[in-house]
Amino acid sequence: MNALTLVRAHARAMLVDLRRTPGYVIPTVFFPAMFFTIFALPYARYHADIADLELLSYVAFAIVGVTLFQFGVGIAAERGRPWERYIRTLPCPVWVRFVARIACAMVFGLAAAAMVALVARIFTPVDLTGMQWLQMGGYALLGGIPFVLFGIAIGYWCSARAALPIANICYLLLSFAGGLWLPPQMLPGVAAAISPYLPTRQFGELLWSIAIPGHPVKALIDLALYAAFFALLATAGYRRDERTRYA
Amino acid sequence: MNYLELHDVRKSFGEIHALRGVSFGIGAGEIVALLGPNGAGKTTSLEIALGLRAADGGSVRLFGGSPRDVGMRRRLGVTPQDSGFPDNLKVREIAQLVATHYPHPAAVDAALDAAGLSDLAARRVGTLSGGQQRRIAVALAFIGNPDLVVLDEPTTGVDVESRRRLWESIGRYAADGRSVLFTTHYLEEAEALAMRVVVIDRGVVKFDGTPSVLRERFGLRRLSYVGEPLAPVAAAPATIVQIDGRTVVTTSDTDAYVRALVTAGAPFAQLEVTVSSLEDAFLTMTGGSK
Repeated sequence: MNALTLVRAHARAMLVDLRRTPGYVIPTVFFPAMFFTIFALPYARYHADIADLELLSYVAFAIVGVTLFQFGVGIAAERGRPWERYIRTLPCPVWVRFVARIACAMVFGLAAAAMVALVARIFTPVDLTGMQWLQMGGYALLGGIPFVLFGIAIGYWCSARAALPIANICYLLLSFAGGLWLPPQMLPGVAAAISPYLPTRQFGELLWSIAIPGHPVKALIDLALYAAFFALLATAGYRRDERTRYA
Repeated sequence: MNYLELHDVRKSFGEIHALRGVSFGIGAGEIVALLGPNGAGKTTSLEIALGLRAADGGSVRLFGGSPRDVGMRRRLGVTPQDSGFPDNLKVREIAQLVATHYPHPAAVDAALDAAGLSDLAARRVGTLSGGQQRRIAVALAFIGNPDLVVLDEPTTGVDVESRRRLWESIGRYAADGRSVLFTTHYLEEAEALAMRVVVIDRGVVKFDGTPSVLRERFGLRRLSYVGEPLAPVAAAPATIVQIDGRTVVTTSDTDAYVRALVTAGAPFAQLEVTVSSLEDAFLTMTGGSK
């Protein structure tokens, strides 16, 4: 019952619970790959360069989706439940649940990203090297951190009912304006203007830098700033919930 | 040292003073029933004792430490509220998850078996009835082999056989020097099971002692005989009814009534005196609400 054992036990329980909910698994894991198939494949199937960039964009799209839903919707739905209250009476530090949730999101995020990668491998001439695939995995996890914190902030600031539509809107708007569906050069006016300031755009820039020349360091710094901002928001939301529920 | 010690605990929610100086303790090997009408402060007291809420004033010690300290909670087992389980998990998986938190847990399958739940072990908890979920909740409190088990209404909605089984296991548990604190709406349960009863009403402890003392101090006695009722006597207030030719007198002082009966020279036969139940005592103490 050391902390690591507890993290594993909680992550496993969460995974099993989610795995038995087809309504969660199918959209979460297959949705990004489906989007990729519908919107990216027509362009990506003929050119290796485009295929690489589209793949990297949709990996970011997959990670953002899983983190916002897993954390935003998951926390909002569960924080008021008697089960979470009961967990607090167990000898279990609060952070164990957070780490377990992050581990759980990583599993689903990587699964969703892997689906996109699978479609890309089969139907497009994507030509990343082994090193680049690894880099993609690493960047996907690293760049996912601010979105985890964003999701936690949504989860603590929104009611269970509001969290789903809000997470959905954030997800779709940020993905679109961040240039994850259309390349940034093709974005319409307003979206193009705000795009450089969005975390999704910086996540994209980070991943694109694997295939084309870019500014991964700048993207990482921006993402770190976003992470700091969302961490503050998430902490404030968490404290507010603690005060109302457990004070 | 008491396993659990509340001292002068105070708690307000806005204008409402939920607890106005609650003190009680639970020692090793004790079975204690916490009673009180709804809204009396029972739940708040428990929440503070379990570290789910912070007290405004006073102190709470769980095994000499803070109830929010993970180290102290390793010796504490609690019932989850029912209908709160993750629906898709199987009973055994939940039991296993809970057991993982404790240094010396019971063997999961044996514990489920002992609680009469082995048939349900492979079922998803969301498919079970309320009574079944309640029994699982109770089994979870014991699964870590903790020194103090806290059961919130362990037998509400549970069948007679399961209730009997639970009473037995609580008795065995305390015989090992471990302690059980439980709340209940069934006073006969407190009477049958508890070594001590703590009654909370309107945010204060109204009584802390054995069930028999509770009954003696607050209880009413019932006296019945064949004969005419006496004219009201000043000695003790009583309610008097006549049933099937018998006069039935409920009063806190039956002796005074008997003396008055004899002094008056009234004819009476087949005199019976019975002590009323804990339930009656409780109603007297809390002014009729339960």
